Amino acid sequence: MVSLSQIAARRGVLGGIVLAGALAVSSLSARAADDTVFIPNVVELSGAGAVSGTNWRDGITLAVEEINAAGGILGKKLNVPHLDTQSDASIARAQVQKVMDDKPYVILGPVFSGSVLVTMALAQQNEIAEIVGGEAAAITQRGNAFVFRTSFGQQFSMPKIANYIRDGLKAKSVAVLWVNNDFGKGGRDNFTKEMQARDIKVVADISTESGQVDFAADVVKLKAANADAVFVYTNEEESARFLKEARKQSLKGALIGETTLLSQKVIELAGEAANGVRGHVGLSSDAPVPALATFAEKFKKRFNYANDHNGIKGYVAVYAIKHVTEKIGKFDSKAFAEALHGMTITPDKTPGILMEATWDKNGDIDRASFLGEVVAGKQKIVEVLPKLNK
Amino acid sequence: MSLARILGLLAVLIAVGLLIAAPTMLRSYGVYLLALWSVTTIAALGLNLTLGYAGQISLAQGAFVGIGAYTVALATAAGIPYFVAFLGAGLITFAIGWCLGYPALRVQHHFLAFVTLAFSTLVFLVLRNEQWLTNGIYGINDIARPKVFGLSTNRNPDFYYFALGMLALFAGLQWWMLRSPWGRAFVAIRENPLRAASLGIDVRRYTLMAFAIGSAYGGFAGALYAPLVQFIEPNSFQLTYSLKLLLIVLVGGAGYFIGPFFGAMIEILLPEWLRFTQGYYLLIYATLVVILMAVCPKGLVGAVALIAERRRKPPGRAPGPGGTLDPGGATPGPTGAASASHSR
Repeated sequence: MVSLSQIAARRGVLGGIVLAGALAVSSLSARAADDTVFIPNVVELSGAGAVSGTNWRDGITLAVEEINAAGGILGKKLNVPHLDTQSDASIARAQVQKVMDDKPYVILGPVFSGSVLVTMALAQQNEIAEIVGGEAAAITQRGNAFVFRTSFGQQFSMPKIANYIRDGLKAKSVAVLWVNNDFGKGGRDNFTKEMQARDIKVVADISTESGQVDFAADVVKLKAANADAVFVYTNEEESARFLKEARKQSLKGALIGETTLLSQKVIELAGEAANGVRGHVGLSSDAPVPALATFAEKFKKRFNYANDHNGIKGYVAVYAIKHVTEKIGKFDSKAFAEALHGMTITPDKTPGILMEATWDKNGDIDRASFLGEVVAGKQKIVEVLPKLNK
Repeated sequence: MSLARILGLLAVLIAVGLLIAAPTMLRSYGVYLLALWSVTTIAALGLNLTLGYAGQISLAQGAFVGIGAYTVALATAAGIPYFVAFLGAGLITFAIGWCLGYPALRVQHHFLAFVTLAFSTLVFLVLRNEQWLTNGIYGINDIARPKVFGLSTNRNPDFYYFALGMLALFAGLQWWMLRSPWGRAFVAIRENPLRAASLGIDVRRYTLMAFAIGSAYGGFAGALYAPLVQFIEPNSFQLTYSLKLLLIVLVGGAGYFIGPFFGAMIEILLPEWLRFTQGYYLLIYATLVVILMAVCPKGLVGAVALIAERRRKPPGRAPGPGGTLDPGGATPGPTGAASASHSR
């Protein structure tokens, strides 16, 4: 007969074995081989950010395949594993912590601003540059010398939108509908500030949830506000759902967005309801820039879907790494960060950069951007806005 | 001392030794994960007390971790010493847990789950919308790690030892509590409140106590979570986090003292080991959990106890009431608790 203490002991034995196994397995981790350079991509591949993150990843994959096929950078092939943050900031931090153990040269991602804010401190501590897709204004305002953007921060894009609403649309009142996460809230705060500075009245200020499905009540509120223009600042899927509901209820007033609302993904999802949407676009495959169109073709051929701005951002990030590394002639993370500050990369020297881009001392990017409109299910660029500091 | 007992003690000693030696074997990320495991286990120990021992379903444990984390983050930013804030986090969550326990006196089972679910949502909304206090959706960044006895815990191994020490402290406390009349009273209430009352147990007081202590464990875990991750935001403490903690308790084995240790290990480490499967890792992880729960609904430890029980009993006889006492002596299988509650 087995006594209680024996049962307890067996449990203890099992516990010890499981624990020992657990510890042994977690100590195993692959190290990059010497003839490759380790550039991990930590990004949103599941959860709310999956649409952006997948595009970003595929843009990177395309660039890495091209560069590796051409012999790599300084003779070394790129080793770019993709690590999922599950769109959760604490997991993003853990993943960046993980890749730090293998001494990365540069880190790519994340795309979600909250995840960028939590990981960039780690990158700074380890003096490793992080090339991110986040747009929250705060990212480049913390004096972190190791964070670099691939798209405009909200503090650059919102004045452009605001000027367009004042001069292009000549609107006297606006309503703003935003998603209540760090991306949406940051955009909303910057946007309303710019509106106040231009004496345009914000007549409705509507917060929505990430992953929200039903926008009927929000559209009713917008109809009641009767604004000249409605500024919509939500993530891709929510933008599409909102546009469908707005069309269903025949919402009046111009629908204005910033990059996301006019993105390929939203147009695909919203279909006919996206027609007539206008706004500022940081990056677009439909821009009158041949390199962007060529990129879009390559992307479509490789992944069998149309890219959005995140795909371009990921692609450009890898080519920026190539350009800077060849310029400094070595794989030195600190020297990389120093060199990229104040650097202008032009497509004639590095075609993969697609459009001339300059990084300032804060890591903010500056390049030409566009005003666009969705016409017959296609994004049409109506005006090219020059670089800010040119 | 029997051979089995010596082997058992040896296994526990090896496990503890491995945990202590882990930072010398693992790299920074592995140590970080083990620290996260320690913190999560403390939160799960609390939920195990509320759910596994006292039988009160709570979907608010994640919210309590959030309250603890925000308390420490805000208090230390205001210049209050870490350990004062740490105690404050425990006290605040104890008080809130006590108040949340009142509905538990009136509603049971899934109705109670709804009440705690509503509370969880309420906490998320307060954390997100009261920007003046919590910095809203942007969260709180750069949370300082504490100094323990004058030693900095900025390095991951140092913080891991601190978290492991706290886990040992809270696990020891619960071990003691479960062997005390309190633990027996909790189990008695879970199994048969009327009978418990007839034996002189103040059902009202012990129900509130179970909620409050379980919640305080969540608060203490949060007080460790904030300096570990050094960034907190409302989204981290949404309902999904409470559900994760619930899963940890159920997978480990609700009502078994060592259940949460294994549950947290599966929840935190298994997805990491499966990452080599690239895009499929969450899918495989979820499938494994479904299979595990289908095969052993009492969780991992419950399954082991059941196997041991079957081997003990001659074939053809069902396990009798109170027959699955665990090493703590206070964790009978759900069928035999009432008899165990007054067995001493």
